[in-house]
Amino acid sequence: MAARSEESALAELYDRYGRAAYGLALRVVRDPALAEDAVQEAFLALWNSAARFVPEKSKASTWILTLVHRRAVDAVRREQRRRADSLDHAPEPSVGGVDEDAWLRLQRERVQAALRSLPDAQREALELAYYGGFSQSELAERLGQPIGTIKSRMFAGLSRLRELLGEPGTEVSWTSTI
Amino acid sequence: MDVHDLTAAYALDALEPAEAEAYEAHLGQCEDCRAQLAELNESAAALAFGAVAPAPPAHLRESILAAAAAERSNVVPLFRRRFAPRVLAVAAAAAACVAVGFTVAALRPGGTHLVATVVLAADRTATLQVDGLAHAPQGKTYEAWVIPAGGAPRPAGIFTGGGLTLRGKVPAHAVVAVTLERAGGVSAPTTTPLVEART
Repeated sequence: MAARSEESALAELYDRYGRAAYGLALRVVRDPALAEDAVQEAFLALWNSAARFVPEKSKASTWILTLVHRRAVDAVRREQRRRADSLDHAPEPSVGGVDEDAWLRLQRERVQAALRSLPDAQREALELAYYGGFSQSELAERLGQPIGTIKSRMFAGLSRLRELLGEPGTEVSWTSTI
Repeated sequence: MDVHDLTAAYALDALEPAEAEAYEAHLGQCEDCRAQLAELNESAAALAFGAVAPAPPAHLRESILAAAAAERSNVVPLFRRRFAPRVLAVAAAAAACVAVGFTVAALRPGGTHLVATVVLAADRTATLQVDGLAHAPQGKTYEAWVIPAGGAPRPAGIFTGGGLTLRGKVPAHAVVAVTLERAGGVSAPTTTPLVEART
């Protein structure tokens, strides 16, 4: 029965990206229950939008993480939970130790190094927007900058990140069988 | 406000709802923005890996799989009966239009990759763009189909390559498919879809 293999494909996708997805959601919403909701909604949205999966070169992670992020931001704006002032204090659980997945740790170090190499203003715009869930209008107000400046910083920051992080490695992709 | 400038903010989910809606409407008409968004989405998603990732609670996995199993059974059967299960459609990666439509790539038996992007406007009109599609052979045409949930395929326009604005509206949960047909088009699909995607 095809449904069974589709379900195992979903399980595989979750096993691969569920932890990164949960980490992202938790970073944005700062509440385990809300983070779980965001991850579950995102995986189900993906499930309903098409698909079965086979090993191949593609970027399933972009898709799932985009879905997770959107739901997390929606949640944090609804709940008014974001507290950007704590962004600097890394409010997450302590890192390191045996619990953290080695591959994820490498990815995190790579992304954080790339972020650190950005000009401060660009890094700040990206972090407040992506991790803090602030809209560009809120950022403009918070930082006392024209909105055009905020847009430019976001664009320059993301573009530079793309250069710094280069081409991603092989991933799995999703296929849908009709 | 120049809507072209909103791509980075959209990729970061940093637009207010009204701004996001305006940008999504614009996406349907702007190939440059779609291409740029696909790139910036990747960079934004990479930021996700910058967050510390504690293990999610064990019950989350079971909860997602159980919910998926419950939902899936309502969605698929009709469509699966209609077409032979030969064509793979890879819903991928770029996710340029996650909110407004979807990006689907198809791996054809010959190994060619197709990437179909459907952008749904708020009024349910839609454009379809298929990248990687060779020009239709002599005497043939590509035909787009809108298949409402539980309904029969409705012809949504013919094209010889690239893409088109789909005729009519695309209802919720409809499938958009493309087949190769004889020149002039037909009123019901006669071949296996080259690519399909569920909205």
